[in-house]
Amino acid sequence: MSAPMMIADGKAIELRAGGTDLSERRRSGVSRGSLIDIAPTPDMTGIDCSANGAARIGALVTIDRIANDPRIAAAYPGLAAAAGGLATPQIRRVATIGGNLAQHSRCWYYRNPHTACLKKHGSICSARGGNHLYGVIFDLGPCVAPHPSTMAAALLAYDARIDTDRRADLTIAQLLGDGANGAVDNALEPGETITRVELPPPTLGERALYKRAISRASAEWPLVEIVARAVVADGSLRLLRLAAGGVAPVPLRLAAAEAAAQGAAATGATIARVVEQSTAGAKPLAMTAYKLDLLKGLVRDLMERLLA
Amino acid sequence: MTQCRFNGVSRELPESPDATLIDVIRDREGLTGAKLVCGAGVCGACTVLLDGAPVASCLLPAKAAAGRSVVTIEGIGAGALHPVQKAFMALDALQCGFCTPGFIVESVAFHDEWRAKKGAAVPTREEIAAALSGHLCRCGAYDNILRAVAEACAGRFDGGDAARSPRVEARDKVAGAAKYTVDIRHDRQFEGVVFRSRIAHAKIEALDFAEALAIPGVAAAISLLGEDRTVRYVGQQIAAVAAADRETALRACAAIKVQYRELPPVVGMDAARMPTAPEIFAGSRKSAGNASEGMAMPTPWRRNVRGPSSAFSLKAKKARNWIAAAREAGDPLLFEATFRTGAQQHCSLEPHAAVARFDGDRLTVHVSTQAVFELKKLIAKRFKLDPSHVRVIATHVGGGFGSKATLGIETVAAIELARAAKAPVRVVFDRHEELSVAGYRPGAEMNIALLADRDGRLKALSLAAHGDTGASVNSTIAALARLIYPAEAKDLSDFDVVSNLPPGAPFRAPGGPPMAFALEQAVDEAALRLKTDPIALRKRWDDNPNRRRLYEWAQGLSAWRNAAPPASKTGRYRRGVGVAAGYWLYLWQPGSKVQLSVESGRIVVASAAQDIGTGSRTVLANTIAREFELEPHEVEVRIGDSSLPEGPGSGGSRTTASLVPPALLAAQKLKQAVQQRTRREPQAGSNAPWREMIAACPDFSVSSERPEDARTLAPGVRSPLGEVGLMGHIFGWMMRRFSHIAIGAGAPSSVQVVEVEVDTLLGHVRVLEVHTGIAVGKLAAPALAQSQASGAIVQGVGYALYEGREVDLQTGDVLTAGMEDYRLPGVADTPLIDLHFDEGGFDHVLGGGVGIGEVATVPTAAAIANAVRNATGVRPKEIPLRPDRMLRLLSEGART
Ligand SMILES: Cc1cc2nc3c(=O)[nH]c(=O)nc-3n(C[C@H](O)[C@H](O)[C@H](O)COP(=O)(O)OP(=O)(O)OC[C@H]3O[C@@H](n4cnc5c(N)ncnc54)[C@H](O)[C@@H]3O)c2cc1C
Ligand code: FES
Ligand code: FES
Repeated sequence: MSAPMMIADGKAIELRAGGTDLSERRRSGVSRGSLIDIAPTPDMTGIDCSANGAARIGALVTIDRIANDPRIAAAYPGLAAAAGGLATPQIRRVATIGGNLAQHSRCWYYRNPHTACLKKHGSICSARGGNHLYGVIFDLGPCVAPHPSTMAAALLAYDARIDTDRRADLTIAQLLGDGANGAVDNALEPGETITRVELPPPTLGERALYKRAISRASAEWPLVEIVARAVVADGSLRLLRLAAGGVAPVPLRLAAAEAAAQGAAATGATIARVVEQSTAGAKPLAMTAYKLDLLKGLVRDLMERLLA
Repeated sequence: MTQCRFNGVSRELPESPDATLIDVIRDREGLTGAKLVCGAGVCGACTVLLDGAPVASCLLPAKAAAGRSVVTIEGIGAGALHPVQKAFMALDALQCGFCTPGFIVESVAFHDEWRAKKGAAVPTREEIAAALSGHLCRCGAYDNILRAVAEACAGRFDGGDAARSPRVEARDKVAGAAKYTVDIRHDRQFEGVVFRSRIAHAKIEALDFAEALAIPGVAAAISLLGEDRTVRYVGQQIAAVAAADRETALRACAAIKVQYRELPPVVGMDAARMPTAPEIFAGSRKSAGNASEGMAMPTPWRRNVRGPSSAFSLKAKKARNWIAAAREAGDPLLFEATFRTGAQQHCSLEPHAAVARFDGDRLTVHVSTQAVFELKKLIAKRFKLDPSHVRVIATHVGGGFGSKATLGIETVAAIELARAAKAPVRVVFDRHEELSVAGYRPGAEMNIALLADRDGRLKALSLAAHGDTGASVNSTIAALARLIYPAEAKDLSDFDVVSNLPPGAPFRAPGGPPMAFALEQAVDEAALRLKTDPIALRKRWDDNPNRRRLYEWAQGLSAWRNAAPPASKTGRYRRGVGVAAGYWLYLWQPGSKVQLSVESGRIVVASAAQDIGTGSRTVLANTIAREFELEPHEVEVRIGDSSLPEGPGSGGSRTTASLVPPALLAAQKLKQAVQQRTRREPQAGSNAPWREMIAACPDFSVSSERPEDARTLAPGVRSPLGEVGLMGHIFGWMMRRFSHIAIGAGAPSSVQVVEVEVDTLLGHVRVLEVHTGIAVGKLAAPALAQSQASGAIVQGVGYALYEGREVDLQTGDVLTAGMEDYRLPGVADTPLIDLHFDEGGFDHVLGGGVGIGEVATVPTAAAIANAVRNATGVRPKEIPLRPDRMLRLLSEGART
């Protein structure tokens, strides 16, 4: 799709896939430019798995299909579980993976059409000096809202690459940036369309889990969420991947915790070290210190189950 | 391809790229079964089938339906009801019914797929809850919903027999045919939108509608400013606009020119109590709203703090002295603590809505209201109309919970706009308005001191409650502690802290749940310190006969008797059991009338009451049916219309107690009259003599008014006013005189035993079981009473664990103004609910029973808190007990 898409009548043009994020912002008036529905091409609507297990997921594939595709569940259980745990059944049936990656912030200052926000061309982050109960603990940029995409966290854990109509082979970090630019949710150019997601072949013998911390039983945006992958062989950890959402302006690999596990014995002592390292570098805001405990708690929960 | 099939009929889709499917379904196709509630994909009220799969039509671009088939609730069971619909009816899986079409659409898809795949297997509660996790029910009908879906899947409703329900209007609700105010549409009807302040505190110097009125399609613009032209919270109404459609009205609002003179804002209790804080209601205290059902009594003010209101104290000075002495002496039997509760939003799924239409000088207003009759009077007064020319209609009301009891801005705006536009106008609040400016139960800060003596008696109690009331007053919390657990002395004072936040409103048992949260935890703590069983201690301290019977019941529960001792509570997941008691006042409305007629051989019962999901329609039908040995559906019920004989409001649990006694009196009159007039004696040995006589009776009608209760009371039953003494009688007189509410004798009561599980790693609290004993006398409609009680418990769970309003303390913006951030309990949060009804205690009331709406929600949060204390050893001081608070509590507990 080619798209010279910035200025039409002085306002941005926004792409639309399932509309589950965009329609709410249209109704509230936060998004006001013109709309372009992404035209479905066969390339963008299918899931292909190659013989070696690598998968390509079209950007218009729904979250529901990802959650229920047996090939995905077998090769990338953390991705399938993350997809199945996100939003609600009605939303999953319509929401696409491309839209999930490119969705906008859920910060309550951003979603309120009347309040100031960096992502609405404002000059300050109202949440930083205001109420940031659901804000970040890794303060990586001017905006303190966590990135909303659960799928991005899962894809980060799996080293997925993203193709767009203009660029190929972007990492999640390249797609979403490093959080330093508080004015945007991602590093897509205006009108740039995600076309597909490429997943490398799974590692032999790996296990993966997904879990989110919430206050109710289900159907709630995560306070903190983690996708964890591990390969344990001969009693030691050959691979550990921990990707966290809800804690930073972009989904984050918990690098220090992963490093603490590298090659270590699959024991309680290792779990303790990994848990300890999971908040390395975190700098909570006035109202978000509880997320440190949630992050550690989730890492412990997942590690204990992965090493069980 | 821009065609789409709606329930099988091919239709053209609109061109507009911004149209969502719900707009097309409701506004253009006139299929009003699907509701627009959150507009954000959270609540599921708008769910329809798209090529057979349930989707949220509020987010689905209409264009996405091109070439596909859409089935709405109207298309389900159009010929014969679907088994799921029959199950919802039979098991009373609905109350106000506003969420019901969405639940049914999703459940039908789940049911059909389940049975195709799994045959006769019955899904578990967890499986059903997962499938329905995208649906919210504010009435809390989840327990019956879970049951209904399971039983439909089990094939229990496959048969073709006529669908039955304990709720008389259930069929309309499961079919999507029930019309609510938001569904009313007149010809040439304009859409009204309220223009609101963006600033928390300002004087409006100038208001100019010229540009707004110049926009094509705009019909009228009116000012809604009060006399002092001052706005005191973000979102306060300034003006309203009517236009051909909502988009145009919103554009017109944006074109209104306002000149604000900003005043310093004071947001929240802490800021408002600073000695330097500017006074918000200086010189204009009358413009403050009312957070309670009763009128606000004259009370002193100190700047932004109104209070103390301490009329319900008993030897207050003594209480203070004893407590001070005990504190000085380090008496371990003195428990002192500060408890905090959050602001709870009503969040009725049907928003505040009104549709006004003038026909000459006659005004008809459809309103989503809890008080059609009272509202008629208020409208006539405010707009200087002849009351007989005003008609208020509320056929079905999608929830209220206290927030729709008076004349609201939606109604004022609709009427004024209709007058100005010379055409019907509809005003419907959006969810942001609903969750910010449409009322809430004020948060509170409560300082409690409870002193027991060496003999284990309650010696003194002190409770000072500060309500975070925003631009309103009259949060009454501490006073309620007078009527339970008699003590030698009680020092009870209520304060309102006003600030630049929206005004509170009465919410189901106003003041009750926060009072119980503080008091019942203090009693629990006393039991710990006295090393006494908490139920045994309550039995010792509480002399109310209704609750004493409930304590006996509670002591017999195996959940209580077999609870694990505290010492065994280690590890990540910890379970605990807690108990709490609660009561509510028995209120009724003098002047309430019930008319009974025979019309064409049928009985018709009529009263200008309304059914907000609580079941007043059914209460009337059942009461009359029982008298005449008929089936409830044989009685036609007319309510929801102010042109009927005066009926009670639906608030303060007064509806049942106001309707049943006059209905019984009218039934006696009708019986005599039928016997006199009937032209034909029933056949000898007939098993339905009344049915036959009524069928043969000429048309006529009788009417009765709510009688006073019997003066002789059973032993132990007291008038709460008498208990408080002179102040009580004055209070009672004023309530009756100015609020048209009588306070009767006896205490509707509830005792709850709750089991929780705390995940100490992730701070998650799960309520496993709620055993609830309730004493409200005889039940007029037992199945509906159960629904009411379960719903009240679900709301109590929400209050305890999830529901909290968050604001910006600088700007005064309400941040939790969407349903993903304001967290209602969902279907998977529903505990196992075990209900026990004790039907005694109200023999002095004709019919033997009173209302149930409020009482079951009073003790829930307190019982949950006591259970958490039992599970973890730490006492929750603040709700909602979200994971952040639970984790902090645990880490503080670990440090001490
Ligand atoms: C109640 C609820 C709960 C939710 N919970 C979660 C959750 O827990 N975790 C989570 O991750 N998400 C959650 N979501 C968000 C949901 O997953 C997203 O709304 C959805 O994935 C967006 O997909 P869409 O196809 O509907 O995107 P749209 O709404 O169509 O678009 C979203 C944005 O992405 C852009 N976009 C869409 N497709 C592309 C593309 N191919 N290339 C470039 N830009 C594109 C659009 O321009 C737009 O800005 C929740 C949503 C709701 C309503
Ligand atoms: S109105 Fe569509 S999900 Fe709530
Ligand atoms: S019945 Fe569900 S919201 Fe009222």
